[in-house]
Amino acid sequence: MSETLIYGLTIGAILYFFSIGLSITFGTMQIVNFAHGMVYTVGVYFFITFLPVFGKIFPLAMALAIAAVLPIAFLVERFIIRRLYGESLDYAIIATYAVLLIGADLIKWVWGAMPQPVSDPLRISLRLGDFSFPLYRLVVFLSAVALFLGLRAFFNRSIIGRIVVAALEDRAGVRCLGLDVNRYFSIVFVIGSGLAVLGGVLYAPIATAEPYMGFHILLVAFAVVIVGGMGNLTGTFISAFVLGLVIAITARFWSQAADTMVFAVMALVLLKNSLLALWRRLVGAVVARAD
Amino acid sequence: MLEVSGIDVAYGYAKVLHDLSLKIQQGEMVFVVGRNGAGKTTLLQTISGLMAPTAGRILFEGQEIHGLPAEKLARKGIRFVAQDKKVFSDLTVRSNIELASYAAGEDLTRAIGRLTRIYPKFQEFLDRKAGGLSGGQREILLIGRALVGKPRLLLIDEPTEGLAAIVIEDIFRILNEMKKEEVSAFIVEQNLSVVSRLADRIYIMKEGKIIKEMTERAEIGRTAELEGYL
Amino acid sequence: MEKEGQTPATFPVAPLRKKVLARDIGVIAASFVLMALFIPLHWVIDFTIFCILVLSFDLLYGFMGRLSFGHVLYYGTGAYVASLMLLHVSRNPFLAIAAGVGAGAILAIVLGFIVLQTDGAPFALINLAFNQIGFWLAASGLQQYTKGEDGLNTPVGKMGFLDFANQPIAFGFLLICLLLVFLLLRVFTLSPYGVTIRSIKENDDRVKFLGYNIFTYKWLTFVLSSTLAAFPGTLFAIFYGFVAPTIISPFGNVEVIFAVLIGGAGNLYGAIAGGVVYKLMSNYLATNITRWEMVLGILLLIWVFKFRRGLTGYASELILRVKRKQAAEV
Repeated sequence: MSETLIYGLTIGAILYFFSIGLSITFGTMQIVNFAHGMVYTVGVYFFITFLPVFGKIFPLAMALAIAAVLPIAFLVERFIIRRLYGESLDYAIIATYAVLLIGADLIKWVWGAMPQPVSDPLRISLRLGDFSFPLYRLVVFLSAVALFLGLRAFFNRSIIGRIVVAALEDRAGVRCLGLDVNRYFSIVFVIGSGLAVLGGVLYAPIATAEPYMGFHILLVAFAVVIVGGMGNLTGTFISAFVLGLVIAITARFWSQAADTMVFAVMALVLLKNSLLALWRRLVGAVVARAD
Repeated sequence: MLEVSGIDVAYGYAKVLHDLSLKIQQGEMVFVVGRNGAGKTTLLQTISGLMAPTAGRILFEGQEIHGLPAEKLARKGIRFVAQDKKVFSDLTVRSNIELASYAAGEDLTRAIGRLTRIYPKFQEFLDRKAGGLSGGQREILLIGRALVGKPRLLLIDEPTEGLAAIVIEDIFRILNEMKKEEVSAFIVEQNLSVVSRLADRIYIMKEGKIIKEMTERAEIGRTAELEGYL
Repeated sequence: MEKEGQTPATFPVAPLRKKVLARDIGVIAASFVLMALFIPLHWVIDFTIFCILVLSFDLLYGFMGRLSFGHVLYYGTGAYVASLMLLHVSRNPFLAIAAGVGAGAILAIVLGFIVLQTDGAPFALINLAFNQIGFWLAASGLQQYTKGEDGLNTPVGKMGFLDFANQPIAFGFLLICLLLVFLLLRVFTLSPYGVTIRSIKENDDRVKFLGYNIFTYKWLTFVLSSTLAAFPGTLFAIFYGFVAPTIISPFGNVEVIFAVLIGGAGNLYGAIAGGVVYKLMSNYLATNITRWEMVLGILLLIWVFKFRRGLTGYASELILRVKRKQAAEV
């Protein structure tokens, strides 16, 4: 069971890295960004390609992969996301989905469609009482916590962070001070993309890379963001781990239903308000009958 | 300093401002008076760059500014204070000013110093979260924010709206200080006591057009007549 | 909120005139028959089934303005239930159609209540989630019934002279189905009910203030749209005799959305025109270009940024311009 828990926390950490960018983009630009899955996938493939080239030095390949993806993320933001700001939601979904599709095909073209495995870079196991687990998973989990604290500091203390928080509430007000809101949202967008790649790279040793991995994690990430609240940083942190655990626990008992269970949870959360209202009405009806 | 010539402004297909022209000289405090729905807010939003006119020109210090975005105009020195009194509520008052000073390139302490000179009580709520301020304090914060970086022209939309009489006097005092420092301002206002005491000139708007301009002090002093236009 | 580039509806809100309706149906029927003369019949049959699906989606997206990324769930449900009906209960195709459509309706009634608690982005995504669940059920959860990835082979019996193995007869039958769905939707969208739906697309709140219970209208439209999506699903199962999880895969939603975009959303012709054009394009692309997914993605981007109003949008603009010229010359 503890193994399942560790696995769940690891998945949760990866989900957090990936979902935070998605959540922020929705909070700042009201756009559901399917292309987020594309930068993630491309980043992971870059990482896998760089790793053997640079003597299997994990952090180096990781940094290079992120660096390689940042310009791509910037281009997506500049030429697609920014043009769709203020337009109806449908076009944003369709356009970013198109980018995801193009990305998947490009990857198939360049790297081929076969999944590619990577091995555990640390290859150390920790012992805790009766069981052992790979140290690597602990590292991943701690990184997510560090990220959460770092983002908190960023949005509370740094000037860019505070501009973004202000602009989320009163975009016109920030503009009328002379600040180009688009530029700051752009910066945050690129950071979000970088974090997604970081998450993907951290995940790569545990999973395998395949061209459609962006689609799959995107679906779960949507659930994370909806459950945690779009644009809600703390909520995303909590829901990422909750859903990670849901996946891990479901996988233990019924392996193929793991993803589906996540959607069931999402549906329940979305409906909690109406379910509560229904419950109240039912209770009211029963009480009325009893009188 | 500011010259608006024959502008039309529309929301989609509905035209709100019709062939509107006005001028503001440097150092003047000009007021706009009119009924609700006359288009005063739209006028201010257009000059500030939040909206663009569909026809006509706007010149600011000789440059054509119509159609330029709000952030560019703010950097040229046009500052807009909106009617809804929205502040950056998750940030402290100090942070609110800090964003303004960061944008304008003015030193934060110097900016706060200037604001405190104009309104001494400012120091008291510097470290409070902006969201917890009262309506009057918000307006003062917003005007303070707009004053950072020595703006060339202030556009203020209904500063005294919804405020109690005591607070209105505070606002009056601030505007008076601004007037003494020869800050140019274009202000929408319904409180005729404030208008008549401060205005160099008044434009009266009705249904998207300017129907009268008052330039004589005697005229402006006649608040009874002004009331007819509200 | 003001949406950029919003133009007044190019689709007329006119009372239903029988002559116009007859003309429309005639034009559509003639076009399809014409196509059948030049294009392989099995392609045109493919178009017909797909166009019914796109029509059903147009009701939800084009008329009511709600984007769902999981519409194909109902299409797939119709297909699977019809197949199971044919396999285990009766070879009668009409019973299979009824079962499939019924199943789609029941699913839509239940899920509709759930998904319509949301709007905007969550609405699109929660439908996607349910679609994904459906896909999973077909591919593995209910494997013992659906045979998972292997798919279901469905034998169809003859009904009198209706032999679905005979292509021209099948085509005739499917064309009639398409025309019936078109007729139904045309009547529906021009009725006062339809006007309310379109008003909901423009502005939810105003319709609420007028005293309408929006939820009921939205829900009914969702149910109708989804049930109509199950219908071509049953037709697919009957005509092709084989159903696999790809039919219920969420990826299929892109095709439907794209078709509606190409043709122009919110007027039924667009759905049909878009369906045909999309199928022509994807068939050609898939057989001739290996990187067709990329090309599809690029085309989608071009459509979103440049050709948003679709073929019918441009057609009506052209007609307007011609009319104006004529009026000016008079």
